[in-house]
Amino acid sequence: MNYQLDMLLSDQPAVLERVLQTTRYRGFKVDSMQMQPASKQMRVSMQVSGQQPISLLTSQLHKLYDLASLECQAQLARNSELQSA
Amino acid sequence: MKGAQAILEFLVQQGVDKVFGYPGGAIMPLYDALLDSPVQHYLCRHEQGAAFAAIGYARSTNQVGVCIATSGPGATNLLTSLADAKLDSVPLVMITGQVARAAMGSDAFQEVDVLGLSLSICKHSMQVLEPQDLVPCLQKAFQIAREGRPGPVLVDIPKDILTGLVPASPEACKDYSIPEHSDQDLQVANQLISSSERPVLYIGGGVGMANAVAELRDLIQRTGLPQVCTLKGLGSAESEHPLYLGMLGMHGLAAANLSVQQCDLLIAVGARLDDRVTGKLDEFAPHAKLIHIDIDPAEIHKRRRADVSLLGDLKRILPMLGKEQVKQPWQQWVSDLKASKAFPYAEDNSPGQIDAPQLLRQLSDMSADDAIVSCDVGQHQMWVAQHMRFSQPTCHLSSGGLGTMGFGLPAAIGAQVANPGTQVIAVCGDGSFMMNVQELGTLRRYQMPVKILILDNQRLGMVKQWQELFHEERYSETDLSDNPEFSRLAAAFDIASDVIHCRSQVADALARMLAHQGPYLLHVQLDHKDNVWPIVPPNTANHQMWEQPK
Ligand SMILES: Cc1ncc(C[n+]2csc(CCOP(=O)(O)OP(=O)(O)O)c2C)c(N)n1
Ligand SMILES: [Mg+2]
Repeated sequence: MNYQLDMLLSDQPAVLERVLQTTRYRGFKVDSMQMQPASKQMRVSMQVSGQQPISLLTSQLHKLYDLASLECQAQLARNSELQSA
Repeated sequence: MKGAQAILEFLVQQGVDKVFGYPGGAIMPLYDALLDSPVQHYLCRHEQGAAFAAIGYARSTNQVGVCIATSGPGATNLLTSLADAKLDSVPLVMITGQVARAAMGSDAFQEVDVLGLSLSICKHSMQVLEPQDLVPCLQKAFQIAREGRPGPVLVDIPKDILTGLVPASPEACKDYSIPEHSDQDLQVANQLISSSERPVLYIGGGVGMANAVAELRDLIQRTGLPQVCTLKGLGSAESEHPLYLGMLGMHGLAAANLSVQQCDLLIAVGARLDDRVTGKLDEFAPHAKLIHIDIDPAEIHKRRRADVSLLGDLKRILPMLGKEQVKQPWQQWVSDLKASKAFPYAEDNSPGQIDAPQLLRQLSDMSADDAIVSCDVGQHQMWVAQHMRFSQPTCHLSSGGLGTMGFGLPAAIGAQVANPGTQVIAVCGDGSFMMNVQELGTLRRYQMPVKILILDNQRLGMVKQWQELFHEERYSETDLSDNPEFSRLAAAFDIASDVIHCRSQVADALARMLAHQGPYLLHVQLDHKDNVWPIVPPNTANHQMWEQPK
């Protein structure tokens, strides 16, 4: 399954490492990632994929002290996959 | 004020008057300031020992433990204990020195990226990069360590911030918002409880950490719910209760596992359905609905879907749960099972080899009601959990989640520092003891009356047991028959000692040990053939445990 995660993070050292490490450890792969500064924070959007229920990842991301908000959406398979199917 | 002084002032304000640690280059300014501070520092003989002592302090008091180490090797030596505290949710603040900011990132002498190393094994970690952030970081560290599900926090501080000036006034911290369950979920939970025929209460470490032991015991009183405990939950329920069944899981007692496998409702309180508890997950409590009560939302549905979950402070939730008595036939069934599966302790004075379960039961009977018992990891740890009784969860210090050998002695030292008037006993394995044996030096220095009981089977017993049962008796690297002479080791540290090998010596030796004023080491020689029973083999359902061969 593919998911889109939109996060608002406080701009602290190691914050990206925390997000990426949590994502890997909880069994998801980062397919793409964008980031944008937003005053003392940064906005990070990540497309991830994995077999496990996404709540296993989001519930752990919610525990990060540098995470201000998180939205998660399941995504349809990507266009290329749809076409080849 | 200099950074180093500001740290110590902050600790005093937090009511922290005892810390554990080990000095070195980057943290020297803090050690210098300690000389002029009321904070009492306990020098351990390895940073891992210092951090385990802080864990022993924290777990025996439910307060934040503090330990200090220098950069580089000092910091890396802390990492095992940091992971231990993470997996057992221990409130801890670790302070590490770092090279000065100007040198950071240059592979300077004793520079390691401890922030990077810490990320996955702590609740939170911070590196102080500006002087004005020092006190707020510490404040945040203490708050995070304590709030919600407790855990360890690491604060890494460059040397020039310790020596430079910092402003003193801390910022106000954000309030922590405890997750809240809905009234409706509470109602559903209560309905499930009253309509269930065969409920069981499954008690984890969360109860003790939430200071909810009294509320739990009230609930048991009101309802007569049969109870099982995890390793960390031991001491939460009253062990004399007729429907108290002891520990469940891989080395759980037969009645505990069988009751859970039979139940139609499992009420998990501050527990996380850890794999050592559940055995084969699909076949764990196969007929049961699950009510999961915890403060950490991430534990709900993690290993098994809960039918109802109640998030929040156990101290507030437990009084709202369960109004009526559990149905009589089930109480009867459980109590019959408990009687039929009672552990067959050997007769007191029968001749022959020492039986560790019997010895530990005797020790439990002879020691003070509020005695604190720490242990290492292995067979002896499981025997302690199965056969000793604890009046509170703070009385049983055992490395659960990480299962770290070498935990027992330093944890006992920390517990004794926190509870100077209390009897503290470290039950050590011969293998594990050697992993932090240097802490005998700490005992000697502070003359703490910790009692060390080494259960010496001349083996890495637990691994040997697996080799015997699951690896066709191929014993690879588990023989320790060349152990040192433990009493001579004790003598080198001026610690009194005794050694026993037969059953008739046990009662007197335990009495002498407990009566001794100072530190003491009792070396107990066991038969290496003894194993821990029951055992649930890997990938097996808990009711298919193997019990002691007759
Ligand atoms: C640091 C560490 N290394 C290795 C292990 C794996 N391990 C688990 S129990 C055990 C044997 C422990 O031997 P001992 O302390 O003598 O206890 P016994 O099982 O004999 O009672 C080992 C090696 C561990 N738990 N921790
Ligand atoms: Mg051993």
